[in-house]
Amino acid sequence: MLSGSAGGGGRDAPIRCEQLVHTYDGRQRALDGVSFQVGRGEVFGLLGRNGAGKSTLIKAMTTLITPTGGSLRILGLDPAQDGRRIRERIGVVQQGESFDFTSVEGNLEIYGILWGVPHEERARRREALLERFGIADIRRRRSFDLSGGQKRRVQVAREFMHDMDILFLDEPTVGLDVLMRRALLDSVREEARRGLTVVFTTHNLEEADYLCDRVAVIDLGKILVCDSVAELKRLYAGKKTVEVSSDRDHAGRFFDALAERTGVGDRLTVRGAAATLLTDDPKVALATILEVAGRTGAALEWLNVRGNTLEDVFLRTVSNGGNGLGGSRPP
Amino acid sequence: MAAPALLRLIYRNVRVNTDPASLVILLGLPAMYLVFFGFGFQSLATASGAGTNYLTFLAPGILAFQAVMAGTVAGSILWADRRFGMLAQLLVGPFTRLEYLLGIIVTSLLFGLGGALVMLAIAVGLLGVGTLTVMGLGVMLGTIALGSVLFGSLMLLLAALVKSNNAYNSVQILLIFFVNFASTVFYPLGSSLPLALRALFEVNPLTYVADVVRNGYQRQLSAQNGLEVGVLAVEMVVLLVLATRAYFRSDVSME
Repeated sequence: MLSGSAGGGGRDAPIRCEQLVHTYDGRQRALDGVSFQVGRGEVFGLLGRNGAGKSTLIKAMTTLITPTGGSLRILGLDPAQDGRRIRERIGVVQQGESFDFTSVEGNLEIYGILWGVPHEERARRREALLERFGIADIRRRRSFDLSGGQKRRVQVAREFMHDMDILFLDEPTVGLDVLMRRALLDSVREEARRGLTVVFTTHNLEEADYLCDRVAVIDLGKILVCDSVAELKRLYAGKKTVEVSSDRDHAGRFFDALAERTGVGDRLTVRGAAATLLTDDPKVALATILEVAGRTGAALEWLNVRGNTLEDVFLRTVSNGGNGLGGSRPP
Repeated sequence: MAAPALLRLIYRNVRVNTDPASLVILLGLPAMYLVFFGFGFQSLATASGAGTNYLTFLAPGILAFQAVMAGTVAGSILWADRRFGMLAQLLVGPFTRLEYLLGIIVTSLLFGLGGALVMLAIAVGLLGVGTLTVMGLGVMLGTIALGSVLFGSLMLLLAALVKSNNAYNSVQILLIFFVNFASTVFYPLGSSLPLALRALFEVNPLTYVADVVRNGYQRQLSAQNGLEVGVLAVEMVVLLVLATRAYFRSDVSME
């Protein structure tokens, strides 16, 4: 694992995961020695490609599967022994849809009943959540008649019908518009300030950047990097990313020539007719690009210099298997 | 203090399955069988000079049929919860897998008994109290309860094993048709039936439910009915064990 702290909260951390292993059918290793901790009131992001192991990890933490190896403690309890006690204190917004065949308010009401929320408190929470998540005007519509974004809002709102210590959010903003996405993230952040621990998976790295205190990048069942967003970005301190794309006819020759001219410390990553160059000196890099383009006859279609994002960290980490943040040139 | 987990699950199952559309199927269909088939075939019996009261024969059969309808409720709950994500959602909530299964079985039992009482009210409205006794009513309801769990287990087995929506719906419709019409719900097990069809009647649990309910309704219970209840109980246990195993081995969602 690359740098960073896997810890967050020490021995009292609500989530403690040590050398966790899980194999499906005794062969396919979905988790391969995963270790991290999440502290109280922390928002922890899990980033990874499809099939990286995120969902398996969430299933293990929410007691849906029992890991085949390692140690896992949720709220100080062993999921294999105290599954119900753990589940009574967590909330889970799953990636897929999950609804009862009834109205929006009916779904919230039934959920409150399932969690044993008293009648008056249930009504109070239901009304507050309908307003907070902007679904009061569709309260009587059947859940299956809603749009994708509306369904997602109902699903997230429903989870707040009951009290919890940890909230697991598996890609909760899929299908939400920009305003609602930001409102949801702010809501989660506010709950975290009050002490709620949040585990958040997403493919949208801007969201993770906005919301998470720490992120772990997981790939092939291993955590490649686990650290605060600020610390991960610090690894890029002073560097800039230059984005460049060329016409397809000259792209091969252009990028081959550019790779030969790339300076020490600079990293070129090519994808088709486009590339990113991580560099300490964007002025020199731009001059080099223009010179190489002129020499190879390449027509530049896009040229841009920008600061680094969490997406850069993610892409470089995954493409390097956690062995440093340097770039690579795909074969 | 919150109600026990099992009661909360049962409440949810009942509430979700008592929408108007579901009730039309669960109660309207058997009621229509009773009225349309009852009066329709009565006219045939009258025209042929048989002199039998077909409605009196059919009414207990329709009560027995409620056990099958209750079974479809059990299967539909598990199927829909797997398909639409609620099983996975409930199992990350304060419930165990066993409680979820028990919740479905008790729900199916409630639907079987509730539906039978509604049909009984319709039958009494059409025929009067007649030969009905308190003991007969007890035997009828007990047998329908047994049948509800039996057919509930059969449908749970189907819902746990099948992976596509089309397959689930097709098999369920075929099963209901077979169980319904290869039984003594609508007609007696007469000697004129072809041997193969007669064998189907004999192995069909609904035949046993219908026979016991009919004899309970008509104050004609015998030792034979006791044997039939015993067979039903054994079949129920076997199907319940198979359904439980399939359910615990099944994926919690269809994704």
